Amino acid sequence: MRRPSGTGGPSRRHFALALPSALLVSGCAGPRRGSGRPGDPIVLTLLSHYASGELKEALRGPVDEWNATHDRVKVRTKAVEFTDLLTTFMVRQAAGQGADILHPYCLWNGQLVRAGVLRPAPPGHAEEIRRGYGRAAVASASVGGTVYGYPTEVQTYALYYNRRLLREAGVAGPPRTWPELEDTAYRTTRRDRYGNTLVQGFGLSTADDSTTVGQTLALLNAAGGSFVSGDGRRTVIDSPAGRAVFALEHRLVARGASDPGVNVYQAFASGQVAMVVSAGWWTGSLKSLMGKDYGDVGVAPVPVPAAGDERATLATGFMLGVNTASEHPDAAWEFLRWLNAGRVRGRGAPATRMSVLQVSVGSLTGRADDMRGLLGEGSDPNLRPFRDALAYAVPEPNGPGAQQAKSLLRKNIEALWTGQQSVDEALRTTRRQVDQEVSRSW
Amino acid sequence: MVNTLTPEAAERAAHRPRSLAPAAGRHGRARRRQAVVAYLFLAPTLLFFAVFLVLPLGFALLLSMSRWTGFRLGDIDPVGLDNFTGLFADGSTFLAPILTNTLLFALGTVALALAGSVLVATCIDRLRFQGLWRTLYFLPIVTTVVAVGNVWKYMYEPGGLVNGVLNALGLGSTAFLQDPDTALPSVVVVQAWATVGSAILVLTAGLKSVPQAYYEAAALDGAGPVTVFRRITLPLLRPSLLFVCITQFLSGLQSFALINVMTKGGPGDATDVAALEMYRQAFSYGDWGTASAAAFVLFLVVLAVTLAQLWFFRRKGEDA
Repeated sequence: MRRPSGTGGPSRRHFALALPSALLVSGCAGPRRGSGRPGDPIVLTLLSHYASGELKEALRGPVDEWNATHDRVKVRTKAVEFTDLLTTFMVRQAAGQGADILHPYCLWNGQLVRAGVLRPAPPGHAEEIRRGYGRAAVASASVGGTVYGYPTEVQTYALYYNRRLLREAGVAGPPRTWPELEDTAYRTTRRDRYGNTLVQGFGLSTADDSTTVGQTLALLNAAGGSFVSGDGRRTVIDSPAGRAVFALEHRLVARGASDPGVNVYQAFASGQVAMVVSAGWWTGSLKSLMGKDYGDVGVAPVPVPAAGDERATLATGFMLGVNTASEHPDAAWEFLRWLNAGRVRGRGAPATRMSVLQVSVGSLTGRADDMRGLLGEGSDPNLRPFRDALAYAVPEPNGPGAQQAKSLLRKNIEALWTGQQSVDEALRTTRRQVDQEVSRSW
Repeated sequence: MVNTLTPEAAERAAHRPRSLAPAAGRHGRARRRQAVVAYLFLAPTLLFFAVFLVLPLGFALLLSMSRWTGFRLGDIDPVGLDNFTGLFADGSTFLAPILTNTLLFALGTVALALAGSVLVATCIDRLRFQGLWRTLYFLPIVTTVVAVGNVWKYMYEPGGLVNGVLNALGLGSTAFLQDPDTALPSVVVVQAWATVGSAILVLTAGLKSVPQAYYEAAALDGAGPVTVFRRITLPLLRPSLLFVCITQFLSGLQSFALINVMTKGGPGDATDVAALEMYRQAFSYGDWGTASAAAFVLFLVVLAVTLAQLWFFRRKGEDA
């Protein structure tokens, strides 16, 4: 029997409208943060790039411990690969599904703060962070003087060298100054008759940002220079220090001691690179890649332009911060304090859970006292120069537009290395491009 | 919409006296009901286009005239045409080298793929086991771009296969992807190789449709193979060539994955292209306004290039 038109009840049109609406609403609804019933625990989400392998396992330990010992607040970790991390922050935040706790690369902090994603650390936590961590770690976790989270892993840069290759070239020890660095690089370089590189004296590599830009900024800091001005609004790469670094790299490439076309990560592990500037995390990879040949690897501070110059290098890092969209910021900060400031006994010396976690995966935190305890007797001696560098490292600039400035610097460094630009042109172009783009970000 | 009235019935309906108005009303209702049914059938498709085409297009247009960091929808800040002017401001790399590279990349790909596919398709047309040859040349299309890019990347390495061959011939090594002079042409070769299969498929189908009578007549007139190719094959292949030309140009102008895998736009910005820059602006730098403005500029370039090709082929007598 047909329903007479105009009577009450849902018509086909109502149904056709209601169905997609219901699907949309159910699909786009926010995540469940616990059941919401009184007495049920709060569930915090933590989004990081500890997605696989030992990093994932290392984070699971303390999180499981927290969940086992805390009834009111539970933590659920979510992880994506590092290359997808920033994108995931964006997409989830725009969809109203941002995690309560974020684990960003500190380079992005300015961008995240400008977008209103990161919540400033409450005064008690900020004070604890300023007191407990080194200068570079605190600066990395801060934007405009405001602390936004607990620094986690801190990567300082130092000079890796292959003892065997240096010995074969008649060099007794690692270089301490730039003239020694150049001399060692030229002496250790070897090529075959077709021009293929057999041994690079000094590895300048275009593999990624951390090799291309990281090593240049480490040398720049060692020369007393910096990439951006104090207020972060313009570049000062064309300072005498910047010119000296670009000129040094240009000479190394032009005279054949560096071959930017070779992937330095693979080549150093294969004994085809005598020296390279890189971050501390690499020691763990080299150990597993090189096996017993890892014994040939030594680490020394980044050489300075002249004997007697003050040491400096680059520090990069990550931090754990709380999302402005989190419904339970107090619980999130409470968990972060427990994870980053609560002490446990690790390798005999008391240290924070985060320090134990990071050292277990061959990394460091910005807590110098923890690192001294954890990297004492019996630890890999190659990690100590990175630990010592915590005292004098310069943080990577992290203002709004920092990622874009870094990419532009990388392009111009590559253009310099490949002969597209002279030293002067590269400095001038970097300045023009970075100033133009960074000014748009503020 | 489906009209179920025959012309005679419609004419009768038109000349019906006013006293028959209730019947006409019934017909009108029936017609409206038919329209509703027709729209209901179309609804899924229209909804699909609205959600995945019209909505994103409108949103992109809005973003191209706004500042947005990609995190909160409430933070979209209108800035007029600032993003467009920023793309062409002093210090911006968008016009040169990015847009220039994009056009060179597309042009190189089309030229290589077109020449290669015409040559190979003509050869295949004269061979036995044509299906086998077509399949072989089509294989790169079904292989993922990431695999293709990585394999070629290793082949181009200073110690790789290509340099091995050069060394065996007594020539020195070349860092193909690290030298700014060779990086873009090297990636163009890979893109052309990867897309030549689909062009061959289209062109072999085009060759099959050329009537044999023309070739027989040419043979009777004593025309050589070059003359036959220039005067018969090429002109009659023009519809297929137009299709290949336009589709190759479109994919060349929008290329992203291969360059991202092989060079990430380097060395320097020697292989930086528009799609890669858009991705970086949006997802790395959080500048969705600039990314959207760049997308619209690229859209205009694609439109202009496509219209230019249509005009060129029409001038040559091809009704596209």
